[in-house]
Amino acid sequence: MVSVRLEGIVKWLGKTLVLRGVSLTVEPGEFFFVLGPSGCGKTTLLRVIAGFLFPEEGRISFGDRDVTTVPPHQRNAAMVFQHYALFPHMRVWDNVAYGLRVRKLPRAEIRQRISEALHLVRLDGFEWRYPLQLSGGQQQRVALARAIVVRPEVLLLDEPLSNLDAKLRAEMRGELKALQRQLGITTIYVTHDQKEALAMADRIAVMKDGQVMQVGSPMELYRRPANRFVAEFLGDANVWDGRVLAVFADGAEVETPLGKLRCHPPDFAVQVGDPVWVMVRPETVQITRNLKPETRNNEFPAKVVQVTYLGEAVELRLFVGETPVKALNFALHTPHPPLFTDGGLPDEVSIQFAAENLVLLPREDAAAVAV
Amino acid sequence: MSFSLAKTLQRWRFEFAQTALALWVALWLVFIAFLFYPIAFMLQGAFVYKGQFTLDFFVLLMRDPSLSDALKASFGLAAATTALTLTLAVPIAFLMARYRLPLKGLLNVLILLPMISPPFVSAIAVKQLLARFGPLNQLLFILHLADPTNPPSWLDYPFWGVVVLQVLHFLPIAYLNAVAALARIDRSLEDAAQSLGAHGFRLFCTITLPLMMPGLFAAVSLVFILAFTDLGTPLVFGYDCVAIRIFHMVETVLENPSGYALVLVVMGLSVAVFWSGKRWAERWQVQTVPRGAAEAGEKAVPALIAGAITAAILLILFAAVLPHIAVILNAFADRWVMTVLPDRWTLQHFLNLLVHPLTVTSIRNSLIYSLASATLDILLGLTIAYLVVRRKAPLPNWLDGAAMLPLAVPGIVVAFGYVGAFANTPLDPRGNPVPLLIIAYAIRRLPYMVRACYAGLQQASEVLEEASLNLGASPFSTFVKVTLPQIFPHLIAGGIMAFAFAMLEVSDSLILAFEQTYFPITKVIYALANRLGDGPRIASAMGVLGMALLAGAMALSLRLMGKRMGDVFRM
Repeated sequence: MVSVRLEGIVKWLGKTLVLRGVSLTVEPGEFFFVLGPSGCGKTTLLRVIAGFLFPEEGRISFGDRDVTTVPPHQRNAAMVFQHYALFPHMRVWDNVAYGLRVRKLPRAEIRQRISEALHLVRLDGFEWRYPLQLSGGQQQRVALARAIVVRPEVLLLDEPLSNLDAKLRAEMRGELKALQRQLGITTIYVTHDQKEALAMADRIAVMKDGQVMQVGSPMELYRRPANRFVAEFLGDANVWDGRVLAVFADGAEVETPLGKLRCHPPDFAVQVGDPVWVMVRPETVQITRNLKPETRNNEFPAKVVQVTYLGEAVELRLFVGETPVKALNFALHTPHPPLFTDGGLPDEVSIQFAAENLVLLPREDAAAVAV
Repeated sequence: MSFSLAKTLQRWRFEFAQTALALWVALWLVFIAFLFYPIAFMLQGAFVYKGQFTLDFFVLLMRDPSLSDALKASFGLAAATTALTLTLAVPIAFLMARYRLPLKGLLNVLILLPMISPPFVSAIAVKQLLARFGPLNQLLFILHLADPTNPPSWLDYPFWGVVVLQVLHFLPIAYLNAVAALARIDRSLEDAAQSLGAHGFRLFCTITLPLMMPGLFAAVSLVFILAFTDLGTPLVFGYDCVAIRIFHMVETVLENPSGYALVLVVMGLSVAVFWSGKRWAERWQVQTVPRGAAEAGEKAVPALIAGAITAAILLILFAAVLPHIAVILNAFADRWVMTVLPDRWTLQHFLNLLVHPLTVTSIRNSLIYSLASATLDILLGLTIAYLVVRRKAPLPNWLDGAAMLPLAVPGIVVAFGYVGAFANTPLDPRGNPVPLLIIAYAIRRLPYMVRACYAGLQQASEVLEEASLNLGASPFSTFVKVTLPQIFPHLIAGGIMAFAFAMLEVSDSLILAFEQTYFPITKVIYALANRLGDGPRIASAMGVLGMALLAGAMALSLRLMGKRMGDVFRM
């Protein structure tokens, strides 16, 4: 197991600056995700790590080995390609054998390792098929077997599940995660699918415009995003304008269109009067039927505009005064009296936010707002 | 300047592998030595006299009325040939591509047939066919369409003779281009037009033809240049044009620099035509919609109409094949005087081939030259295509441009340049023309070879190569194990074509081979054709031999390349 260290990677493709100084450290054995929208540079980053592209600036090391300008075939970083890139003129066996034969391993060992690898990806019996005779999921597993069979120091995965149908994808998520744990290879996985990343990753780096926005565990990123982009990329979010009224040790009071909100303490420096965003996830909005006249902290009466029944949950569109609020409620049928009946919801409900779920985000346009 | 140059070099060394850079330099050295240097040499010869810049040679050219007539003649020839070729090729391609026709398989083979011999070989036979008391007029006498006491003298119109033969010969090239252009059209556009009420000829004119234009511009400039600089056919028909003037100037090239001036004029015109064809193609390309999912499919038409279309195409193709039939008849004819068909047949001409010292050595020579040049082409073409398509070396567009230059620079120009530029060097063609002949053949066919490799490499997925590198294979073993197997058919097909065309190359052969011992087949055919007695018959027999060879080669490479053949002959 080795770590992968990227320091200040800058890469131009033609006249476009694709990577603007990316620094990351992937711990040994970690299942690390690079997540971002298309065009954010994540695939370029992966290709730089694989050695298909050399960065204009910066350093890449695997463990103590500086590999910045090491050609791809000497890196020992096996990759699973988006469209699998199986050699069409070779059978499954020969595809998997390719990297081993290149390494001039003894025949017996090659045979044994291939069998093991194919067994691992549950493809025993498919050795003599050609890639075109396999389904998408099977091809995907051959690609995986071909990569892990060489026992690479680093395993690179480029949206490996994007060509599979939804059901297979969900299945493969679990399999991949289990396989990664079992092998313990340092793995870097590139995707634009936040669900995939949240479901499998030890840690995730979210990228935008060639820069890393935030690195952290799935829960950290989801619950405590560093900025509005990360917040919205990882899931649905309510984001409101806010102005800091007071800062305490255990929180901050912020003026918002809804009214005064008591929020989680920010992890960036704020002063009274600063403009901020206030973010809250729809599923953390608490809804109750009771409409007591006296309002407690962070509690507001809300008008129900739209109700969408999703089966396991109900999606609500509400208005607090003029401000829209999205809410997602999973505990529909459980509280007494039930919130949701056959008659639907009442027109007016009461909503409440827990302070720890109200996250303050810095405003990139702070200067403009301050004027 | 020097700073930025050093910086560029440093970047290249960082960006590209050393082997790739070394190959890249080697390729440029080849281009410089055998393409740019001869041209530069002619430029110097034409513009510099006794160390002084001069335009005198060009002024002399312009003042010579017979020369400007020859230029006009060549222009007329090329214009007529191009117009006629396209007029025939485009409708045939459209009908063949879009409609279900009987005998389509046969038509597809027949249409490529005229490529199997250079037009000048058929010209030799056709000239016999058209003689005053030759077979054609005999047929007309029998049909009472001509007066035996005053037979029409067809050979008084050498212009049309040359045009017809060129048209028939270039038809396949134009056809392949048109088919390729059609294949790139998004069929849903035609469907859309049909849903809006257009059909038939109107649909063709408003949608299909405009969308074909980029491909057709390419075909136009290709055919135009070929016709403009064709040496063999006018030579046989005795039609005075620029190519012939250049041919005769080779003898005196070292004393009289005005030859260079004329060659440069021809080259300038060709390059201009080529360049504007490319420009137009690009301009139209922008306006047409990029290819979507092209739905293949042929429309059914009533049997009667389909039959009529097939018959019409067959008729044209029969005309195209006729000159070749004439060659074959000639080769087997013993006595063929004052009759429509020969009245006695013989194999004597073929036997003569075997004993004639000139023919035997020429066949051996041609085989050696062609094999060597095809091998050279495969090596050059593969290297260039790999470096360009995979962006493994700097300035790929420049390399591509240099490789495609022989399409724009006619064979007579290159050959003429060689004679001058390499005079009194170890490569002097007056001494031993073998190296230069091989190189000239190779350079001429290089664009097609590079094309074939492009087509192969573009289909061969680059990701597979990355996968191989990623698994630890070195670039070289990746190339051998992953890239080569994928493009092998293209490579072989391209190689066979290069070989076959080298066998029947005309202008380089006529110009560069001075001594009989070094004559290739085509030059012997030319020499024999001008000999009295059974000369033309033996020449025809050699032509038949060449045709059989080329037909076999074409069939083989067609099998290997399949429908992608068109990619090779496109611009």
